Amino acid sequence: MTQVPVAEGLFAETAAGPRLLGSRCATCGTPYFPKVAICRNPSCAGGAIEDAEFGPNGTLWSYTIQYYPPPPPAKYDEPYVPYAMGMIDMAEGVRVLARISTDDVTKVVAGSAVELVLEKLYTAPDGNDVITWKFREVK
Amino acid sequence: MQEVALLGAGMHAWGKFPEKTLGDLTRFAVSAALDDAGVTWREIQAVSAASSRFSGGKGWGLNGNDVVEDMGPTGVPVYNLSAGCAAGGNAFNIGYTLVASGMYDVVLVVGSEKLPKGFIQTSNVEDEADLEYMRQLAVGMPGPAFWGFLTTRRMHEYGTTEAQLAKIAVKAHQIAKHNERARFRQEFTLEDVLNSAMVSYPLRLYEICPVSDGAAAVVLCSAEVARAHTTSPVWVAASAIATALHNDGIPKGLGTVVPPGVTHHSEAAAAVKQAMGQSGITKDDLSLVELQDNTVYYELAFPEEWGLCEPGEAESLVEKGETMPDGRLPINPSGGFLCFGEATTAQGLFQICEMTYQLRGESGARQVPNARVALAQTLGLGGNASATVLKR
Repeated sequence: MTQVPVAEGLFAETAAGPRLLGSRCATCGTPYFPKVAICRNPSCAGGAIEDAEFGPNGTLWSYTIQYYPPPPPAKYDEPYVPYAMGMIDMAEGVRVLARISTDDVTKVVAGSAVELVLEKLYTAPDGNDVITWKFREVK
Repeated sequence: MQEVALLGAGMHAWGKFPEKTLGDLTRFAVSAALDDAGVTWREIQAVSAASSRFSGGKGWGLNGNDVVEDMGPTGVPVYNLSAGCAAGGNAFNIGYTLVASGMYDVVLVVGSEKLPKGFIQTSNVEDEADLEYMRQLAVGMPGPAFWGFLTTRRMHEYGTTEAQLAKIAVKAHQIAKHNERARFRQEFTLEDVLNSAMVSYPLRLYEICPVSDGAAAVVLCSAEVARAHTTSPVWVAASAIATALHNDGIPKGLGTVVPPGVTHHSEAAAAVKQAMGQSGITKDDLSLVELQDNTVYYELAFPEEWGLCEPGEAESLVEKGETMPDGRLPINPSGGFLCFGEATTAQGLFQICEMTYQLRGESGARQVPNARVALAQTLGLGGNASATVLKR
């Protein structure tokens, strides 16, 4: 079974563990996910952008549970099982949207400490596992 | 800048009208606005039309050109304006500016829409560079999930309960049962709302506005033209539009910056503050507010984000009935998006029509007593917002 990323350039398994791939402004330090071409902070006079890696630690700012099967282009394995999604404030100062990795969506709690994982999103028609970034509660 | 009067308002009812074309709905609203103003189509000097990719406009957002073709090609200038769900409010801002600047004396502003079924799709392009597409593909996040995040956070911060959220939907329907132009007019009990299907936790089906068909139009004019038609026009005290700040905490694609302050819709707050400043009014002058309640959450969050009440106070205002038409801060005495549903480009204009009827005292059982000053607000994809203050 081959694992394929849902899209290129958004995340990577590094020697230190899973990371999101983004940018940081060399002048004002503003972090961005995904990568940007120039700094978007209107009060920053600079503009030089550097590659940055974010992860694994964050705080779950908030979450929701997707009770109905989402319309395309979202994809999921049948039968549909409701999943949780979060807005996560990462330690590097970037807020990201992500799937929550949990066995019980009703046990997700806003404000909890979470960590980045790379996990299966759905099974592609060719049998490959399509991988995305998710966060799970730190036990 | 010259004063701008709202001389005429016209609306088709909101609903699903498979037997009518978009042109039928639009013609109804435009004709009603012209009749209400007492002007003929040939007197319209310019058209500002809200447009979207969903319906009409020849697939190019040329909705104003559709209107002119149908009503009679007089050669008038047409301004087609796109701003997602804020388009109606933004088109109004163009119409206001055209009259206020002195460029034209009689301008038509129109928005009309027939929406496809289901929740609005924020993206229909399969392009990995489109972050609206990517959030659906890689995270599995359709539109309503975004409101779920904001609402869960409010519950975390203020202890808002699911019953308090449901109460807002109950209140909206208590009002809309008296509005013949609203789509959903049946009364709901708290249990009805709490028993409706969970959509995007913690939001249920009856707490989220569905899509609708609808059309609304207004005629704006100079003070001189207004005085030739009426002794008591409704005045446009202010019209403002704004876009979002980079650090308000609301993710536009897959992420944003952790905000230095409170997460909020900065575009809406900016438009409202600018409009209130322009018109020289304070929160105490407001007779009523028509705000964009895509979901019950916004009836709690927006009044606080705009300084109309204290942070964390909104739940108690709802529970005490203060947001009803006879309360201290009447919110959505039309029934709001919850009871109309969303016909994207027409929304900003249905709000302005409804405010006009309130200021004229024509709103019957849902009339706000002695309504003198009204505020409307829209919010749209891309970080667009508009705010309008009308007074009599």
